[in-house]
Amino acid sequence: MKKFLAMALVLAMATLAGCGSSSDEGATEGDSANANANVPVIGISQYGQHASLDNCREGFLLGLEESGLVEGTDYTVDYQNAGFDDNIAMQIAQNFSAKNVALMCAVATPSATACYAAAEDKDIPVIFTAITDPVKAKLDTGNITGTSDKLPVEAQLELIRALQPEAKTIGILYTTSEPNSVAAIEEYKEKGPEFGFTIETIGVTQQAEVLQAADSIIAKGVDCISNLTDNNVVGVLPSILEKTNDANIPVYGSEIEQVKLGCVASAGIDYIALGKQTGEMAAKILKGEATAEEMPYETISSYDTYVNSQALTDLEITVPADIAEKAIEAAN
Amino acid sequence: MVFVDLLISTLTQGLIYALLSYGVFITYKILDFPDLTVDGSFPLGAAITAVLLVNGMNPYLVLLVSAAIGALAGLATGFMHVRLGVRDLLAGIITMTALFSINLQIAGSNLAVERAIDTIFTAEPTMALLGSMSLMYRKFIVALVIALLVKILLDLYLKTKNGLLLRAVGDNSTLVTTLAKDKGTMKILGLVIANALVALCGSVVCQEQRAFSSTMGTGQVVFGLATVIIGTTLFRRFGFVKGTTAVLVGSVFYKICIQVAISMGLPANLLKLAMAVLFLAVLVLGDRKKGGAEHA
Repeated sequence: MKKFLAMALVLAMATLAGCGSSSDEGATEGDSANANANVPVIGISQYGQHASLDNCREGFLLGLEESGLVEGTDYTVDYQNAGFDDNIAMQIAQNFSAKNVALMCAVATPSATACYAAAEDKDIPVIFTAITDPVKAKLDTGNITGTSDKLPVEAQLELIRALQPEAKTIGILYTTSEPNSVAAIEEYKEKGPEFGFTIETIGVTQQAEVLQAADSIIAKGVDCISNLTDNNVVGVLPSILEKTNDANIPVYGSEIEQVKLGCVASAGIDYIALGKQTGEMAAKILKGEATAEEMPYETISSYDTYVNSQALTDLEITVPADIAEKAIEAAN
Repeated sequence: MVFVDLLISTLTQGLIYALLSYGVFITYKILDFPDLTVDGSFPLGAAITAVLLVNGMNPYLVLLVSAAIGALAGLATGFMHVRLGVRDLLAGIITMTALFSINLQIAGSNLAVERAIDTIFTAEPTMALLGSMSLMYRKFIVALVIALLVKILLDLYLKTKNGLLLRAVGDNSTLVTTLAKDKGTMKILGLVIANALVALCGSVVCQEQRAFSSTMGTGQVVFGLATVIIGTTLFRRFGFVKGTTAVLVGSVFYKICIQVAISMGLPANLLKLAMAVLFLAVLVLGDRKKGGAEHA
């Protein structure tokens, strides 16, 4: 028995030793630089690959640069992505914690939760981005801060009102298990009446149900549909748009990528800008100007209006001049 | 120091997830039952844990409650299969699907447990004994104690008359009938124990991560099966090594492999492929050691 336990341990050691040495190789630059000039390592843990999340990361790196930090001399980056697997996100976070990185940057909630748990022991600052509700995720106190990508519901309602002055009902499809969607729906229902809208929602539990739900919401006679960042719904957005175009119902997106796909317009988040804002916060921490503990989390300060002129023309919607002036064409 | 820290936290993960592996070991290896309930009973344990911790229940008691409710999930699958005649895979799928909704009903939505709330790693008996250690080592010791305690209890149970009957269900079910015992009841019992263990694992993971998420169960069956097969294959030559020991090592081995891949900077998109290759390698090499592909 003992023999085998010993054997198993040796095996474990050997494999990890292999990993240890290879990681040393991988980080030779960082390590030697570390020894020379103490270059802090930033561990970036991204939940998965996805246009918006990638934009966050790119923005984050831009934000660091624009704050005057130079990669290689002021910091090095250890980038990992969990492929949308919570368990891998946990192990990535532990990897960062073991390496004692100067700062962990977590993109999306599951990665942030994992980083925050792994950082507890060593009190490594964690900075997050692309989290809708940091308060609900209990990521608002402690040595942690970052930026939230909460949807600009009010700006979206205002935009819809401006483009469709006669509209009465807005339809929304969402997944009942996505907390971000549920929170957005609540806000829509609360603020919709202020702009003279009633909100019709249909919840689904999985992607296979979305198109049926789209048929139902069209049958309910909504004047338009507003789309959230709901992964299941966004995944089949092109098929939804086929149905709504047949029924002559405009669909509003929640970010630029959706408008590119054929949504008429969106008051949306620019994830690059969000990432940049996060990078600037991280730079303050690295420079020692502020700590994650004392910095409150931020929401994005400005929203852009994106339009798809082709879709607008097809649905015979005219954009008021003041909006058209600021709007960004997303289609090309 | 990096190496030691990495080793300790990876071993901790392996030890915690060994609880799930024990459960899959019972259903897959002992009962010969491919139980997909796991993808639902794992987050079930976590959902209950998150809610009870937030409401101030003692974290150790929470472990027991989670296991007890996980047992009910196993009971549901077993009842459907044995008493209603639903096929084994389908019975598991039905329970797993139902649990997705039930878990969200229990927890409301994804639920986080703030740091002010004590978990098994920070609550009193642990602190009195291990308070001087850093959190990382405390997590390791607690995980080690739980993994070994459950293993010993399970080993003891499998040696009892009832435990032997359970083992007979998968190997030689006629024997069970000959002994005038209902093999259906034994199957249900096996599923109950297995899912209690899986939910217990979910509970420990939730206490360690301080969060429940509705998607955390995805892929746990696959992980469990992989660890059971890796573990039993690695130790195939050594007949006297207990199955529970083998899957414990399997779980640790799996987590180490993932950590190696992460440390090597392997892109996540390739991670699953790498695991598949490793999985195949262990299976093939394990069989060759025994001198043939008789089990393939």
